[in-house]
Amino acid sequence: MSEVILKVNNLCKYFDSKGVTIRAVNDISFEMEKGETVGIVGESGCGKTTLGRTIVGAYVPSSGSAEYRAADGEVYDLSNIDKKKMKELRKEIQMIFQDPYSSLDPRMTVFDIISEPLKANFKLKKEEIEEKVKFIAEKVGLKTEFLKRYPHAFSGGQRQRIGIARALVMYPRLIICDEAVSALDVSVQAQVVNLLKDLQKDMDLTYIFISHDLSVVEHISDRVGVMYLGRMVEYADTASIFEKPMHPYTEALLSAVPIPDPDMNNERIPLAGEIPNPANPPKGCPFHTRCRYCTEKCHTEVPEFREREKGHFVACHLTDTSMIKGIVKPKEGM
Amino acid sequence: MENENKKILDVKDLKIQIKMDEGLLTPVRGVNFSVYENETLGLVGESGCGKSLTCKAILGINGKKAHASGNIDFYKDGEVMNLLDLKPDGEKIRSIRGKQISMVFQEPMTSFSPLFTIGSQMTETIRLHITKDKKEAKEIAIDMMKKVGISNAEKRFTQYPHEFSGGMLQRALIATSLVCHPRLLIADEPTTALDVTIQAQILELMQQLQKDYGMGILYVTHDLGTVAKICDRVIVMYLGKIVEMASVRDLFHNPIHPYTRGLIGSVHKIGGKKERLFSIDGTVPLAMNLSDVCGFEDRCTSKCEACKGCEPELTEVSEGHFVACYRGAEFANGGQKNV
Repeated sequence: MSEVILKVNNLCKYFDSKGVTIRAVNDISFEMEKGETVGIVGESGCGKTTLGRTIVGAYVPSSGSAEYRAADGEVYDLSNIDKKKMKELRKEIQMIFQDPYSSLDPRMTVFDIISEPLKANFKLKKEEIEEKVKFIAEKVGLKTEFLKRYPHAFSGGQRQRIGIARALVMYPRLIICDEAVSALDVSVQAQVVNLLKDLQKDMDLTYIFISHDLSVVEHISDRVGVMYLGRMVEYADTASIFEKPMHPYTEALLSAVPIPDPDMNNERIPLAGEIPNPANPPKGCPFHTRCRYCTEKCHTEVPEFREREKGHFVACHLTDTSMIKGIVKPKEGM
Repeated sequence: MENENKKILDVKDLKIQIKMDEGLLTPVRGVNFSVYENETLGLVGESGCGKSLTCKAILGINGKKAHASGNIDFYKDGEVMNLLDLKPDGEKIRSIRGKQISMVFQEPMTSFSPLFTIGSQMTETIRLHITKDKKEAKEIAIDMMKKVGISNAEKRFTQYPHEFSGGMLQRALIATSLVCHPRLLIADEPTTALDVTIQAQILELMQQLQKDYGMGILYVTHDLGTVAKICDRVIVMYLGKIVEMASVRDLFHNPIHPYTRGLIGSVHKIGGKKERLFSIDGTVPLAMNLSDVCGFEDRCTSKCEACKGCEPELTEVSEGHFVACYRGAEFANGGQKNV
């Protein structure tokens, strides 16, 4: 059995703005094993990015913990750790950003961009740095002669490769991919998704894959967490989430995904209204204002996030979830 | 394609050239297509294939640097006029823009000016084309806002863009573009910036409004999922040329051009087998100093001897299904495909 690499317990991140508290990440718990990919999905503003950033330590959590098992075998709580140790752990936890156009400094060459984390963290000789950068560049499919160029000379897909190389040069163990392929064209997206999968096998990486694109998430993830208004509403292995979802929000989200087959577009389950204001979330279940199965209880009580079936966590008051539909499987041979 | 509906637009041999310091860029290299009433025509391709430039050329809003040649014939009450002949800032094109042909842009956040209320920006179009009366314009605008599903329209009318969410703002933009009941709506990736749930709402809204007004929609996107959902016919563009044009069923069930097959193959289907995604090797070349060979030749997995000659013409391989590939007929008749 694989070891647990990250265990998030009741993690919260609140932001205060003009006297209003926004609960961007609200009481989230999940765990992930080494070598797997966990997808995080949800609409914009649901807190997926904040969750990712809180885990890497870019934000200090308001409460809760994120226990990370480091390469030395020790377990550290990333939410409560001294700066020196955190700096060490950052080498193991890296991030790939969404926008390949704004996440690379236009005044640095590709070599400088990829080597910067090495220079900041290790005392290495020039030749050693060069060797490492070249090795990684080749691994992600960048030709070594590209290293002298500046980011503007590259297409979106190539830039994303540079961003991936920068994260990989530290030999991380956990990578948070925040919408890493969302800005790319479909054919380039496929290249980058394949690359990420190859690298995962090669370098034994663990991914947290944050995206709003459900089909990419389904393709790449072993487990998926669905977020709504700062909370995790469902967490299970990918097949269960897509074929046998147990939360009404997951059902609605799945039904909205357009399927690239003109004969198969399913009936969409309409979501009434818009995502509520996170500064003033509804009482009770945060989803009850848009839920078609809403009952009296949902107005007053926040449902507990608990394990309903083995490995399938849901936060919903519904006792019978048999009417909740998953996706329609495409016909074979398509 | 048998089509009883009236033709709205006929684009013939459209070429767009842009002078750059490095040389002459030809992002659109001879495009032919027609749009009919009551029809949604999808325009698909990767970034840089010339789809946005083609759309903007229809409205004459490409700017002075881009030089367009060819014909864009617009049919109106039995009359035909070539939009490319009109002065880009002349009165005639201005009476068409927004009234006969309107456009919805990709980013609702940047399409509105942050300095004016939604209402004042919506009524600008109405007062230009329909009525000079402020009160009446307001009524028309609020009516349209209600139609596109903006609740509390009276209040929303006086609000500024920053008070709207992305989905609501896109609705407002659609309302603005539809307020004069245009005959042709050009939608340039109108849902790319939105969440799936809101995207689905917007697509359904556009379909409903098309039913009500019978307009033609030219829908530009790179998302094949939305194409399958709302389009009747689809054009696939690559490197400034149309490589395949077919009904949506033909395109998805029997794609012929290797590029189209690559595009469809690179999309993961939910619930499908989790095999490695197909990806087209290489990148789109820059549309400058192109040789005469087929633009897709160096990335193609099915190339043959003929591909090294001049570029293939768009030819009809079965009814309504056009392909620009030397092996098109062979693939259409069940020839072995490499993807």
